[in-house]
Amino acid sequence: MAGTSEHAMEHGGESRRDFLKILTVASGAVGAGAVIWPFIDALGPDADGAAAAHLIVNVAGIPENSAITVTWAGLPIYIRKLTAQQIADTKAVVTSTLVDPASFNSRVKPGYESFVVVVGLNTGSPCALEGNAPADPRGPFDGWLSPCDGSVYDPLGRVRGGPSTKNLVIPRFKFINDAQIQFG
Amino acid sequence: MRRLFAPLLAAGLLFSAAAHAEDTLTPLHWQSQGSFGSFDKAAVQRGFLVYQSACASCHSASALHYRDLEALGFSPEQAAGIAASVKLANGAPATLDDTFKPAAVPASAFGGALPPDLSTIESARPHGLDYVYNLLTGYTAAPASVTLLPGRFYNTGYPGQQIAMPQPLKGNDVVYADGTAATLPQEASDVSAFLAWSADPNLDERHEIGVRAVLFLLFLSIIAIATKRKIWRETA
Amino acid sequence: MSTDVKKSWLASRLPCPAKETGNCAPTLERGAPYLARLPALITGAALLLLASGFVLAVYYNPDHGFASIQFIARNVNSGWLIQGFHATGATMLFAAVYLLLFRDIYRRAYTAPGELVWLLRVKLFALLLLVGWLGYALSDGAVAYWSLTDAANAATGLGGAAGVVGRWFFGGPNGAGTLARLEVFHAVLALAVLGTLGAHRCATRALARQAKPKHPVSCHPYYTAQTFAAFAVFALIFAVLMFFAPHYGLNPLNRAAADSLIIPAVLSPPWYLAPVSAVASVFSTTLGSIFGVIAMLAVLAALPWLDRSSPAGKRGLVYRLLMGLLLLDVIGLGWSVSDPACTISGSLTVFFTIWYFFHFLVLTPLVTALEAK
Repeated sequence: MAGTSEHAMEHGGESRRDFLKILTVASGAVGAGAVIWPFIDALGPDADGAAAAHLIVNVAGIPENSAITVTWAGLPIYIRKLTAQQIADTKAVVTSTLVDPASFNSRVKPGYESFVVVVGLNTGSPCALEGNAPADPRGPFDGWLSPCDGSVYDPLGRVRGGPSTKNLVIPRFKFINDAQIQFG
Repeated sequence: MRRLFAPLLAAGLLFSAAAHAEDTLTPLHWQSQGSFGSFDKAAVQRGFLVYQSACASCHSASALHYRDLEALGFSPEQAAGIAASVKLANGAPATLDDTFKPAAVPASAFGGALPPDLSTIESARPHGLDYVYNLLTGYTAAPASVTLLPGRFYNTGYPGQQIAMPQPLKGNDVVYADGTAATLPQEASDVSAFLAWSADPNLDERHEIGVRAVLFLLFLSIIAIATKRKIWRETA
Repeated sequence: MSTDVKKSWLASRLPCPAKETGNCAPTLERGAPYLARLPALITGAALLLLASGFVLAVYYNPDHGFASIQFIARNVNSGWLIQGFHATGATMLFAAVYLLLFRDIYRRAYTAPGELVWLLRVKLFALLLLVGWLGYALSDGAVAYWSLTDAANAATGLGGAAGVVGRWFFGGPNGAGTLARLEVFHAVLALAVLGTLGAHRCATRALARQAKPKHPVSCHPYYTAQTFAAFAVFALIFAVLMFFAPHYGLNPLNRAAADSLIIPAVLSPPWYLAPVSAVASVFSTTLGSIFGVIAMLAVLAALPWLDRSSPAGKRGLVYRLLMGLLLLDVIGLGWSVSDPACTISGSLTVFFTIWYFFHFLVLTPLVTALEAK
């Protein structure tokens, strides 16, 4: 614009052209933005992907002392309903004596203390844990057992023996009502 | 732009809310047709009711999910209720993220040919809206000169006039919540409107965004040409 | 000061941008028409197709081509818009290319020193026809499916070297995996289109540097303003088509899923493939059809040498009249294959095809030689 100012005939014409030019360029930028937005929007999760990322699982039907397995985010998720005895036993454990200290309350959601939701993969050498199916052995702590390296977990998913040194991972989830939990 | 569109949109909603009172059958016409057409939501909702009670037991519409019903004006709870009332092939109730699929019925139950998927049936047939309407209202007794093949029914709206589908709608097959009389032509036109939505669910949004985009680009074209002319005149 | 330092830092390591800015020197002729901006519009449309094609490729599933496009339109955020950009983008790109070629022929822009630019434009057209057909096949609609099935089965059934190439390209008759390979070819050849556009840009700039304009102006702001205005009008037409006539020029039956047991009543291709499809349909054998299409493009490429008048020669009245007939001829070619209900359209296709070759191989040399005198 500066390069052409010597061609401008009068001040008024120059400023009118400036205004028009700014309006044109600004409108063009708005238009370009409007075209670019769908491209950004489209690469976000699609409706099926969004639904799968926020999987809803009905947990009302799980009987006490048994568990279900669901797949979320490509991981086997174990959902177990504890008995009153298991709750009392795991609460009684002195946290500081554990390999990976974690309190009872840090392993369950407040208000839904009978449900334990964990990723069912051994934290040492990775493989799926036994103890979810009714016929599976559960190990000495009545929790889960790794068939690969013999690590044992209690019903809260805390490591209690064997080579593993980390508790089972708790996935992101929340209770949306008494019957349903939602992942993600 | 928004200030201009709010009243237009409000007017559009008013029209669609009042649409069930409007007679679209004499002469037969469709609100979704034409460059500026939009779906008559009330008719499409009624059409879904007809689809669900008369068509869905045999025909799939696998491009549709139950969650898509929210676009028709059903609340998420209503849509979830509709889904839950449908049983999947494994016996479990459907969820919002399941597609419109009937319980698995083998092709042999239909004389060897599965009924076509209805998701895009109105795109697949020339003049799809009229085609579906004429087909559903086209069942009559066969004239004496015509010998029907076994398992076929005479239908004036079907190419070749001999169709394998028994008459699905006879009038009063459903009870409309909005009080519209469920006559056969009304049911046929409503389900036809629903299948038009099913074939092209983005039509409303396309036309709405389209008007804004075209008005904007018209404005942009005018000021861009004006700027160019102004710049070029100064070099003269 | 600091920008100068930056510039030289960049220019010494990456010399191209420095050259580019040099091109904006006052070497352009003042007063070029808007239609001279067609190459810029073509590049813009090609880039939009590339961007939307990238998004579509993320979701496209060659095992369920039609269903995955339905999925994109219904379940991907703004998916229907992206798909609209791609479908209408193809229409707009081809419209601009047809217009560019026709304008070049009308203006005799292919004469020296413009031969290379012209050859690159014919190459662009040829590549686009292939990419366009591949994209059409990927739509996996009822009509596209049969176009692909016919082509793949015919090409793989050929004998000799042509059959070897056909089997190599399609990987056997149409079946599982065919669309997967065509998806890759579609994307790779689209990049070849971009490469051709790049070469074309270099060639047109070289041509512009040779020209000695009487009233030189710099490209900025004169030509940037004109290009911007051209883009705005182009986008306006684009939007009208995309939002209000998204299936314009396309076979409506292709909006249904393919069925390997049902051949649609009307097997017409999209409008932009129709003239070429018409010439191919004239020949009764597969090799004949391939020959017809290649010959159709070859006469275009040979145009600089078929034209017998001197480069500076004027267009005569007869030449301009013939151009009108050529325009009608190409429209007629396309029309004759999109309306099979018309019983005489088969013989019309033959007539239009003969006229097309007659125009380039006989009339053009004859008329240009006569008018040069």
